[in-house]
Amino acid sequence: MRYFLQRLLQFVIVFFLVTFGVLVFMRIGLNKPGDPARTMLGGQATDEQIANVTRRFHLDSNYLVQYWYWLKGMVWDLDFGYSQPNNLNVTTYLKPRVLTTVFLGVYSIFFALCIAVPMAVYQAYKRDRIYDKVASFGSFFFVSVPALVLAPLLKYVFIDHEPFAPVLHLLFGDKFAFPRIANKVYPWDSLSDHIKNFFVPTLTLTLPLAAVFVRLLRADMVQTLQADFITMASAKGVPPRRVLWGHALRNSLFSVLTSVGVQVGGLVGGALVVEQYFNLKGMGSLLVAAILSSDLFTVQSVSAILVACVVIVNLTVDLGYAVIDPRVRHARALS
Amino acid sequence: MTTAISSPEAAPATPVPPGVTRRKRTFKRPSLAMTVGVLWLASLTFCAVFASQLPFIRSYDTKLKINGKAGRYNLGPGWRAWMGTDSSSHDVFARCIYGAKVTLTVGVLATLIGLILGGLLGIMAGYFLGWIDRIGAIVTDSLLALPALLLALLLVYRMDDLKNVYTWLGWLDRKWEITLTLGILAIAPFARIARAQTVGLREREFVLAARSLGAKNGRIIVREILPNLIPAMLTVAVTGLGILIAAEGALAFLGLGVQRPLTWGKMISDGQRDLGRAWWATMFPCLFLFLTVISFNLIGDRLARRFDIREAAI
Repeated sequence: MRYFLQRLLQFVIVFFLVTFGVLVFMRIGLNKPGDPARTMLGGQATDEQIANVTRRFHLDSNYLVQYWYWLKGMVWDLDFGYSQPNNLNVTTYLKPRVLTTVFLGVYSIFFALCIAVPMAVYQAYKRDRIYDKVASFGSFFFVSVPALVLAPLLKYVFIDHEPFAPVLHLLFGDKFAFPRIANKVYPWDSLSDHIKNFFVPTLTLTLPLAAVFVRLLRADMVQTLQADFITMASAKGVPPRRVLWGHALRNSLFSVLTSVGVQVGGLVGGALVVEQYFNLKGMGSLLVAAILSSDLFTVQSVSAILVACVVIVNLTVDLGYAVIDPRVRHARALS
Repeated sequence: MTTAISSPEAAPATPVPPGVTRRKRTFKRPSLAMTVGVLWLASLTFCAVFASQLPFIRSYDTKLKINGKAGRYNLGPGWRAWMGTDSSSHDVFARCIYGAKVTLTVGVLATLIGLILGGLLGIMAGYFLGWIDRIGAIVTDSLLALPALLLALLLVYRMDDLKNVYTWLGWLDRKWEITLTLGILAIAPFARIARAQTVGLREREFVLAARSLGAKNGRIIVREILPNLIPAMLTVAVTGLGILIAAEGALAFLGLGVQRPLTWGKMISDGQRDLGRAWWATMFPCLFLFLTVISFNLIGDRLARRFDIREAAI
């Protein structure tokens, strides 16, 4: 518990530091009075408009004061600021887009784990057999494919699929052609359209992620399977299935769990590329547009959300350690 | 870069059990995969460096014309243009090679920046522990908390702006901006590895021996710890190079790359709309990017096994 509180404190410090850093960094070099407002408003802004915006967002006070007002607005009123170039509240502007990215992220982590865990467990069980070798090769291959390479490849196969059309039709039937992806569809609107829309982008993010998990889990499983308690369990007559899935897996999950925390950041980067490539309107494409148009508040708010996500996932991972391993839970009693 | 090492026991005179020899041989001989990786990187570097001298690489601006006319994607992959032509009928192969030059320089320089700064931070944190370690942890956590690509976008874009405000930043062109940015991204992972390794090393006997002989901290770090960090840092640097090159591609894809010569990411983004019509304009830059990244990974994987470094495993 003490360990957890320590981590919590550190993550809170990191959160404030990073969000404040982003705020300051977006404003460095805008030294003349009215400059931040002018940047936000774009080319032709009257002096009156500039004065208005400056007053409204306290843009002439020092950074800490600005930070305070922005943070207060965000936490208390769920007001993420105002996107001047789009003439919209960032909240209304952001809401429909957050879900797209969340879907992408959650689906890809979920499916990556679904693929990776059975594959790695079986690989460790059949160590050095032909299956293990093929799977190792495959996972190494996919670890090395950047999202930027996988996206065009999968798009070519599944969406612009002229040469592959006969095969796909044979596999999925005529109706299951993937459309050119345009707008997102929520699962509660039309489930089949939702799946069609998200299948290829999710696959692009899932495969490399699964490959990372497979490699980590296999390495750990192989080590765990050599431990004495596994031999002991087998000798007692515990069926192999239970030894693998109960005893061994639980003791091998650490690296994968840590990796989930680390990969969330990378996943956002991947999502950025994938959203841009498949023309999904998510947070990534929004962020690129916001940065390119110096949209101070959108950039701040989106990065705050992303940092919060990363921090929360990492904290959950820390809690997860305690769930898997009683030694972590009772660390204090032992030390 | 080869991992072939020679040792006195290379040719054992007495027969050894078959298992032992096999194990040794796999470590001695560079594997096929690694050879392919090294070959690819070597030939790519060679072509990129001597691009303007080599006869089979067209110049960057040459347009391939059919019957005196240049057209969009007028040539597919074939004998005249090995990898076809792009939307303004430039040779895709030549452009890939010119892009490689930028990408490789940016990647290597960025890795060096990350290696030096991150290594310094990690060694300090791992050696002195205490409050320095605390600060180091907060710095690395902060760098990792913001998704890498987002941080890179912010840095590159803001550096563009700052250049207009502060004249002393005039030397900062796109290439340097990206190098610096990727270097900053690389700090945190390097610092983590360096710290973990240093924490292990500082308790070892030889450090104790040096200390009891009266060596100062500075000397211990430079003479005792640093040499022992080299294998781990080298391995991480090679693997990291692949990741940084992929990141450079992603930045270029999002429109924040070097404008001239174009790099692979930008070429992929340019060919995106016409993927169905002219797959070669997208797929060949993809192939270059993929082969380069996987080559670095293969070498890194090999080094990690050779030096037995688990942290560097991807």
